[in-house]
Amino acid sequence: MKLFWPTMGTFEQAFEKLSKEQPFEPFDAQVLAFAHSLSKKFLTMRNLTEVVALGFWLRKAHIQEMKEAWKAETNGKVKKARGTVFHIAPSNVDTIFIYSWILSLLAGNRNIIRISSKDQSNELLDAIIEVLSRPEFESIGNRTIICTYSHDENYTEIISNSCQTRVIWGGDETIRRIRQVPLAPMANELAFPDRFSLAAFNSDVVVQLDNQELSQLLEKFYNDVFWFNQMACSSPRLIIWTGENKEKAKNRFWSAFEKTIQSKQFELMAASQVSKLTTSLWMASEAEVESVQHLTYFSRVQMTDFPKDARERHCGGGLFFEYDANSLNDLKSIIIDKDQTLSYFGYEKDEILSLVQVVSSRGIDRIVPIGQALDFHQVWDGQNFLTSFTREVVIR
Amino acid sequence: MTSPFQLAKEEKTTQLLEKLNALTKWHMEQNPEYRAMLEKSGVSIEAKTLEEVPYLPVQLFKLMDLVSVPKEQVVKVLTSSGTTGQQVSKIYLDKETSIAQTKTLVEVMKPILGDKRLPMIILDTKSVLKNRKSFSARGAGILGFANFGRKHFYALNDDMTLDMEGLQNFLEEFKGQRILLFGFTFMIWQFVYKESIKQGLKIDFGDSILIHGGGWKKLKDEAVDAQTFNRLLKEQLGIQEVHNYYGMVEQVGSIFVECSHGHLHTPKFADVIIRDPITFKPLPFGEQGLIQVLSELPKSYPGHSLLTEDLGTILGEDDCPCGWKGKYFTVAGRIPKAELRGCSDTFQGGVKA
Repeated sequence: MKLFWPTMGTFEQAFEKLSKEQPFEPFDAQVLAFAHSLSKKFLTMRNLTEVVALGFWLRKAHIQEMKEAWKAETNGKVKKARGTVFHIAPSNVDTIFIYSWILSLLAGNRNIIRISSKDQSNELLDAIIEVLSRPEFESIGNRTIICTYSHDENYTEIISNSCQTRVIWGGDETIRRIRQVPLAPMANELAFPDRFSLAAFNSDVVVQLDNQELSQLLEKFYNDVFWFNQMACSSPRLIIWTGENKEKAKNRFWSAFEKTIQSKQFELMAASQVSKLTTSLWMASEAEVESVQHLTYFSRVQMTDFPKDARERHCGGGLFFEYDANSLNDLKSIIIDKDQTLSYFGYEKDEILSLVQVVSSRGIDRIVPIGQALDFHQVWDGQNFLTSFTREVVIR
Repeated sequence: MTSPFQLAKEEKTTQLLEKLNALTKWHMEQNPEYRAMLEKSGVSIEAKTLEEVPYLPVQLFKLMDLVSVPKEQVVKVLTSSGTTGQQVSKIYLDKETSIAQTKTLVEVMKPILGDKRLPMIILDTKSVLKNRKSFSARGAGILGFANFGRKHFYALNDDMTLDMEGLQNFLEEFKGQRILLFGFTFMIWQFVYKESIKQGLKIDFGDSILIHGGGWKKLKDEAVDAQTFNRLLKEQLGIQEVHNYYGMVEQVGSIFVECSHGHLHTPKFADVIIRDPITFKPLPFGEQGLIQVLSELPKSYPGHSLLTEDLGTILGEDDCPCGWKGKYFTVAGRIPKAELRGCSDTFQGGVKA
């Protein structure tokens, strides 16, 4: 067990202390001040784009907006924090646990966060600890534990047994394993497993863009794809083309996209280049693959059908599966439970609503314009954090 | 049998290219997956230069079974080494390819080992050979090289400890004779060299020649390079002559052995090309890049042209001071693993829940 916060004492001592603290009211002024301080700190960390995005999400105006929405939604109801929330963070999207933690804190909870042991020292964690250490945030500090521990220690059991909510970010296998650890009977659980995401383009609209509009679109698409090297669950990996000008749109789009990546001086990695070539060829051996194109900046795999297991073969790093459809509604046949975000360009609202209506699987939890694929939202994977992190007391 | 290190560039290239083109064609006809990969990626089948020969990444053999003969003709399945949980390559050999592999190994090693079979110590355990139909890289290596020796003695017990008594008896029996030693670089370092120091064991291998391979990855972590390795082995174990080799399970026939000047050489039936790690374009001599290996042997599976994940540098061709012809090169190690950044893998390596 390694304790990052509090900086003194043992986990057992910190745990005992934390458990005695009274939860906050939802959107407590101290929590709002803390979020504001974190925001200011994160916005200065310019070399870490994802941390800056986090700082932007935490900015005063945005939190205030969430507070107003919360008030309107819970008007006349009595809402209380659940108690202690146990967050198990993923090993490789460094910022996600902070979204989960802050939302839980806004709901008023005490929080225990298990981060991956790989991130033992990093700038982000140092920044958080610095803000937590400030005397004015003592009350937050007393209600927070940030730690890591190895797999053979039984802390998952200990914490699961006495928390009121457990949040698991991780792969399917991780979630399966952690779910074997009993949760306190009164506790609820939020799990965020591996997901898959796609983007849809209306070719008829793409071909009509002028060069500047196209380059703005590509800029946004670039961020969606390469910010986490196409490894984030919401990064598009399957590209859907609809409309009458597919070939023309694709040629224009992809050749311009090569230039976009080039201009970004995106650092390509040898291992990733080899993986993309390997995956493209592996895909090529399948009947539903029509052609593959391995380019320096990305690889394309044109498919005539999109089977379930193709999702598992994706290696990230700039690999695009492509599928032609007549309309968005055609996606009905390929969408599965695992599919999370559909980023789109060139569609009317009613086309999107129609797709949501026709999809019969559990799939698709977010439909957002290109450029917003990675934006975090307090409703994630179909679940509202603030709702799950609070309970309602009925008074009659 | 003449040495495979005598053919000059022009003649070698012509011969090799013809054979490689024939192999590409053969695999296209025999192997539907291979054909699909080439056709759908639009590469040309008939190469005019060695650089144009289509290649498959070695990783692919970890993901799929690629065989170009009916499965009932497979006599041997080679598997790559890999830590637990990692996927391993499976390489299918028929009788023809398997025999050719043995034959070329003999040809490559003869210039170093001569015609006579030497008394041989294998610096490994006998238990790696358990399964005769499916071989690990270690097992396949040992079996291949065992042909060069006689009176084989396995120096490690099953628990990786040194069989000191057996070893002393063997060295006593063949005192004054030239002895062949074979093993894997890391195993020799960990279980022979380091153990002998730890236990204060006095071993003198006498007039011996060591052939070793398997990669330097783990030794690199301990900052041990080839020169240090050779020197320490000479000091501690009295090993006089050391030859490293580079090769991989995925390409039979590609066995590149160090000459007397410490350079890895390509024999006439194999070749290497260095490619830019990002664009995969061929690089000139002297520049480091990804190693592509070519071999005229793989007929039972489409492995005649493979892009490895190893980095290397070609130093020259036909002009190594040792006198051997062919390209000569050095291997710098594996490319770094891609850092995975995604939402998954909270507990990498598993959680004991």
